[in-house]
Amino acid sequence: MSGPVTRRTLLAGGTATLVAAPWVARAQANTLRIGMQSILSGPIALLGTSSRNSLLIEQDRINAAGGFLGRQIEFVFRDSKGQPQEAARVARELVNTAGCELLVDAEASSASFAVQEVMRDLNVACIHTNSETSSLTADPKIRVPTAFRVARQGVHDAVAGSLYLADFANAKKINKWATCSPDYAYGRDTTAQYLQFFKKFKPDVEVVTEAWPKLGQPDFTEVITKLIQAKPQALFTLLYAGDLSAFVNQGNVYALFGQMTVATPNVDYPVLAAIKNLPAGIQSATRYLETFPDTPANKEWGQAYFKRWNERPTNWSWQNSVAMHFYEAAIKKANSLDGKAIAAALTGLKINSPFGADGTITMRDDHTTIGYAIGWGQTIPKDPFITDIKPADWGKIIELETEWKKQQNYS
Amino acid sequence: MKRNPALRDALFAAIVLILLLAIPMLHRSPAFEDFIIRLSAMALFATSLNLLVGTTGMVSFGHGMFYGFAAYAFGLTMQLTELSLPVAALFAVALTTIAALVVGAICVRLSTDYFAFITLAVQMLFFSVIVSWQSLTGGDQGLRGGIPRRRIFGFDLGSQLHLYQFCAIVAVLGLLALRHVSMSPFGNTLRMIRDNAERASFVGIVLWRARLLAFTIAGGFAGIGGVLAALFVSGAYPELADWPNSGQAIFAVMLGGINSFLGPVLGAMILLALNDLVQRFTEYHGLVLGIVILAFALGLRRGVLDFIHLVWSKRAR
Repeated sequence: MSGPVTRRTLLAGGTATLVAAPWVARAQANTLRIGMQSILSGPIALLGTSSRNSLLIEQDRINAAGGFLGRQIEFVFRDSKGQPQEAARVARELVNTAGCELLVDAEASSASFAVQEVMRDLNVACIHTNSETSSLTADPKIRVPTAFRVARQGVHDAVAGSLYLADFANAKKINKWATCSPDYAYGRDTTAQYLQFFKKFKPDVEVVTEAWPKLGQPDFTEVITKLIQAKPQALFTLLYAGDLSAFVNQGNVYALFGQMTVATPNVDYPVLAAIKNLPAGIQSATRYLETFPDTPANKEWGQAYFKRWNERPTNWSWQNSVAMHFYEAAIKKANSLDGKAIAAALTGLKINSPFGADGTITMRDDHTTIGYAIGWGQTIPKDPFITDIKPADWGKIIELETEWKKQQNYS
Repeated sequence: MKRNPALRDALFAAIVLILLLAIPMLHRSPAFEDFIIRLSAMALFATSLNLLVGTTGMVSFGHGMFYGFAAYAFGLTMQLTELSLPVAALFAVALTTIAALVVGAICVRLSTDYFAFITLAVQMLFFSVIVSWQSLTGGDQGLRGGIPRRRIFGFDLGSQLHLYQFCAIVAVLGLLALRHVSMSPFGNTLRMIRDNAERASFVGIVLWRARLLAFTIAGGFAGIGGVLAALFVSGAYPELADWPNSGQAIFAVMLGGINSFLGPVLGAMILLALNDLVQRFTEYHGLVLGIVILAFALGLRRGVLDFIHLVWSKRAR
């Protein structure tokens, strides 16, 4: 054979292998496979891997306790890069090719909506663990019989945050506010939602300036000077992850935190780790904190995570952990892995949880969780970073959420 | 056979279509069916781009905008109106073709580099409109709530098998139509413009008109791909209209072969298969894909099908 022919043969063989390999039949095993998809590459891969980390801890725990219905569990992890089209494909692949019998959808926002649509066609139970966009489960048109959410819900956080900040503003006589949030749907919608509730509780609030930095913006100088020039008494920001830490680090240079009170719901351990000098007195929610709820169970979980991965958990970590607690309880109750049976068992299910405001979390009949810990406090530069934490009033949250759902024609 | 290439193409298309339709009857593989559904969308997208890149010599960096445009036009029509699915799909493709005509009218008079940049710029503009016009498009969250599943001619597109059959038929017919355009006298005119624009214009060809027509046709066919993509994800997302998506199509064209009609289809196949395969084993899929593409580019110095053609013709000699 001459040289080029060998190369062609190789090429043809290689291509054929590549094309054929994706649907090479999988070996049937008794292990119960659970599909997990998330953002495992790119700038916010940290959140995806923190979800995976906590699921691996759950995998070991559940297997040591005998697995699900006597079968050992095994996660199949897939990276969707956060792209909806890819997320839809991956969800189908996990069920159709990888043979997963349960799904944990650890996607953020838009990709979780793509997964939700795929779920209409597959009779498999799915728990969304990271999407906080309320309409995913609140809108009956979008809700899917076998898909649930175990995560914070935007509207819950907005009510809790606004209530806390209204009390705080009344006590400190702060009326003039500025906002600074990322310039895309999450930033704009959620800021509007917070302001809507905030103005309800404190009608004399005045927004003196709004800044909308781009996502991943490296330099916040322009934003910071704009905010300082407007002379607000307080700033509300929805910046998160790397953007929030960059903003705080750069704000420190301009002494921004001495000139106004800053409030944010998005402080997390990785953000804290990336901030060089955490200013004291930022009004902050607890997305995940080892000291809130201040219980031995929560602390033990946080430390076990740190011991295993040598980094601290994120908000996404606890949510994924709770999803597995719900699966565990529901499968035991249903004594089945069938999507519809698990869905029936999950609906209305209440479980004990280290992350519950009162030690329990409930899966409400609209497929979303309530009763998880939401607290607001203020920052200090050292561990535990947030102190004087006031737990949110879930009675009030649900009352206002119901009102909001009526406004949206969701119920 | 050589005397009637159109018949030969039609015969080839018919065989491929029969094969594709027969496979699920012999063996159901949901993964294979999903792959073909995605390939249908991507193949139409990449092949339509090659009508510009390979046939006419116009490198468009913004082709994804028509793919995304059609996905949104189709999704919104299905959500907001009571139109039947085929009517909504045709309407979306027609709207996309008009959009391509308008964008083309602005872009095609520019020379190669500027043409590439302005197509990219228009795409970015379109992408920004999608992200900003939240009340209509849902912004960066995409068009949520799914595309209502309606039956067409006994096809229930909620069923994977029916969606597979629908996509296979649309893709094969679409590619056949594109092949026809490429082999027609108009296609030859485009190749002439690509090889020597000045000489073409001396012959009496109005360059901008021919380029505009090619741009419009390509936009329309990318639109058909976009409709299939919207059906697969049951929605429309800004990523479909973003520049990395245009980049994917360019990769597919370069990888498969710019001078072979089926090159972009093969390129799309390799890209999708690589993506699916590599993702199972590593999160560093970008790195692996990059290395593979580099190997193709440096090793073969042309697309796979072009390389095979070259080797074949050398051997024949």
